[in-house]
Amino acid sequence: MFDSIQFSSIGEFFSMGGYAFNVWTVYTLFVLFFAINLYFPLIRKKQILSEQKRRLIVNREMQTLKNDDGENS
Amino acid sequence: MSETRTSTGQAFRATLKRDLLIAYKRKNDVVNPFMFFLIVATLFPIGITPEPERLGEIAAGVLWIAALLASLLAMDSLYRADYEDGSLEQLLLSSHPLYFMVLAKNIAHWLVSGLPVVLVSPLIAYMLNLPPESYLILFVTLLLGTPILSLLGSIGVALTVGLGSRGLILAVITLPMSVPILIAGTLTVQQTLNGASLLGYLAIMGAMLLAAISLAPLASAAALRISVN
Amino acid sequence: MVRPGEHDILLTSMHNLNSRQESAVQRANYMWMWFSKLGSPKWFYELSGKWLPWLVVAMSLLLVVGITWALLFVPPDYQQGNTIRIMYIHVPFASISLAFFPLMAVAGTITLVWRMKLADMVAKTAAPLGAWFTALALASGSIWGSDIWGTWWIWDGRLTSMLLQFFLLVGVISLRSALEDAEAAAKACAVLSIVGCINVFVIKYSVDWWNTLHQPSSGFSLSDQAPNPPEVWIPLVIMIFAIYLFFAVSLILSIRNEILVRERRSQWVEELVQGT
Repeated sequence: MFDSIQFSSIGEFFSMGGYAFNVWTVYTLFVLFFAINLYFPLIRKKQILSEQKRRLIVNREMQTLKNDDGENS
Repeated sequence: MSETRTSTGQAFRATLKRDLLIAYKRKNDVVNPFMFFLIVATLFPIGITPEPERLGEIAAGVLWIAALLASLLAMDSLYRADYEDGSLEQLLLSSHPLYFMVLAKNIAHWLVSGLPVVLVSPLIAYMLNLPPESYLILFVTLLLGTPILSLLGSIGVALTVGLGSRGLILAVITLPMSVPILIAGTLTVQQTLNGASLLGYLAIMGAMLLAAISLAPLASAAALRISVN
Repeated sequence: MVRPGEHDILLTSMHNLNSRQESAVQRANYMWMWFSKLGSPKWFYELSGKWLPWLVVAMSLLLVVGITWALLFVPPDYQQGNTIRIMYIHVPFASISLAFFPLMAVAGTITLVWRMKLADMVAKTAAPLGAWFTALALASGSIWGSDIWGTWWIWDGRLTSMLLQFFLLVGVISLRSALEDAEAAAKACAVLSIVGCINVFVIKYSVDWWNTLHQPSSGFSLSDQAPNPPEVWIPLVIMIFAIYLFFAVSLILSIRNEILVRERRSQWVEELVQGT
């Protein structure tokens, strides 16, 4: 299997037969795009969940405050 | 208010007449796109070159792009006044198929803003040194093409009629859609210079016009119903 | 298909029908229930939650195999040398970019006809994703072509129609953000996507007509694969599947977020939030 690797050394692999810039730019763009596209939705999900949690807590406190008011008056 | 039944044909003619009358009263809407077309066409020789040969090569493209931009600029006035004074809502509530009402408004709008541009195009073509054998064909392609631009633009205006500032978004939506017409128009004019047969090219433009007449007002009508609600 | 309004009438008149008609009505009802269940955000959220790990596993496996194969084992092209390795990124992205307008048009039609909530969420999240995919297809194509053509950009048919598709997608995105009312924005974008989908095809043909200077298709099609050896096209197929899965995973992740935002006042989301 390893016989069919097209490059005989690491240096040759990185130089891509003179096309290092073209090949590695495209693959770097792909990796960046891939990472960003999976990372941002996950961050956003955390953000949404914490926002909603805060909203629920605030709502509940408002509710208890209102109830307390009702008992006092 | 007395309830008299009007046929769709009568309503179509009434809408057409009303829009033409309004345009006649508000002459700015007629003059501005026309002037815009002249000015844009003037900018090209100044910006690129006054050399007659090179101008002649780009003249068809310049005229088409100027017509495209003029049509886009004129589009803004298509439904706006009607939207603001509430008559658009009346149109949506009427019992006649909205398709024909939209078509009538589009035709009126093209007669007012598109046709003058087409009529003056041979003069600009002369000033830009377009080869004389292309005049007629340029005129015909603009005559077939500018109504398509109006019909497509109408969809974009209908989608954005409720927005406060919509100049740029209208351009972003409608300009890419006009590309096939620009290509068909300029290619047809270029073919006169190659001496090829034009019938096929004109047939394609005619087919585009028929497709636009039958489909675009449907999309405009759907878009208007969404925007006005 | 039974529409929601007809539902009640059907139920009340059900006992008047003979058994054969009854079963037909029930079938129609089941179909409608299935259809509306499919459109239920909660159902989708739960199901996609179950599928997501498997999709991610499949995507990662295919990506690792595909990229290793493409970078190490594919023999250099006799004309293009090692730039052939760019094909394994460019072709999957370019092919998937063409699917966005049809996808958005179908979702838009469902939004307009059946008012399914989920369809609009698909349309809304697909548009920006489509713009990114198209941009990457353009960028990778330009970098690949910079060597073959000797320039970064040429006005050839495929590049130009891809660029115009990018503009159309930007138009849909800006229309969505310009309209404040969410329901009106959903319907307006649905109309624009349907018009845009027709337009993408017309643009494609007219641009090809305008300029046919491009090199013959380097993409995957069965007819011109015959001369290509399997060690060239098998990794390409693997990469196409991998990137389709990547598209599915990122679309599902965004849709799940959209569901959480839009359904934030429903009980199941509140329970979910409290559970975290």
